[in-house]
Amino acid sequence: MSFQEKNITVSLVNFILILGFYLIRVFQMIQGGSFNSTNVFRLWGIVIVFAIIVTIFATILTHIVSSIIQAIKTKEEPDIKDIQDERDKFIDLRGTKVTYFVSSIGIFLSMLTFALGQPPLVMFTLLIFFGVVAQIIGDISRLYLYRRGF
Amino acid sequence: MGKSRIRNNIRKLRFFHDEMTQQQLAEKVGVTRQTIIAMEQEKYSPSLELAFRIARVFDVPLEEVFSYDAEAESK
Repeated sequence: MSFQEKNITVSLVNFILILGFYLIRVFQMIQGGSFNSTNVFRLWGIVIVFAIIVTIFATILTHIVSSIIQAIKTKEEPDIKDIQDERDKFIDLRGTKVTYFVSSIGIFLSMLTFALGQPPLVMFTLLIFFGVVAQIIGDISRLYLYRRGF
Repeated sequence: MGKSRIRNNIRKLRFFHDEMTQQQLAEKVGVTRQTIIAMEQEKYSPSLELAFRIARVFDVPLEEVFSYDAEAESK
């Protein structure tokens, strides 16, 4: 598995965990009767801050763990090559395209709930849900392209 | 997406150049080994720039490394 693939896998696991946390919190709020704008926007903040911080730390951690594993395996100074060549860039672009496509559908569906008379909170809850789902699907498509060759 | 229409002789050329490894070729042209593997399996068509760099490593004209399969186009 190349360094890029490891990075994508870590990102995928992060976003699945974030999605799980988000869904649990939303269901808890709905069941506990605390599904209001203050709590929903706080959850928005938590999810966005989590996504940024965890992604940065996970990338650094992947780098360190990869270096340690390689050093143990080869018993030499680790030489982790994280160069991004043209194929990596193409795969990244295609993954981004998938992410944008899913996001667009998600934004449309979220707006649709609002247009159909649902409260704005539902729209905002769905917006972040589809944002995280889009990232997950984008990461899966990147991994698929890496596994297949291109 | 299946195999590309661009055929190549990279594996053969590596063999005739002192059995150059995929890693060595990757380092010479500045890509990852996975990209060389994808090219050899004809799953990935390189950019024109990378194609020229590969041809320069083997010191042969571009057409000796890459060819276009016109028959695949008509299928």
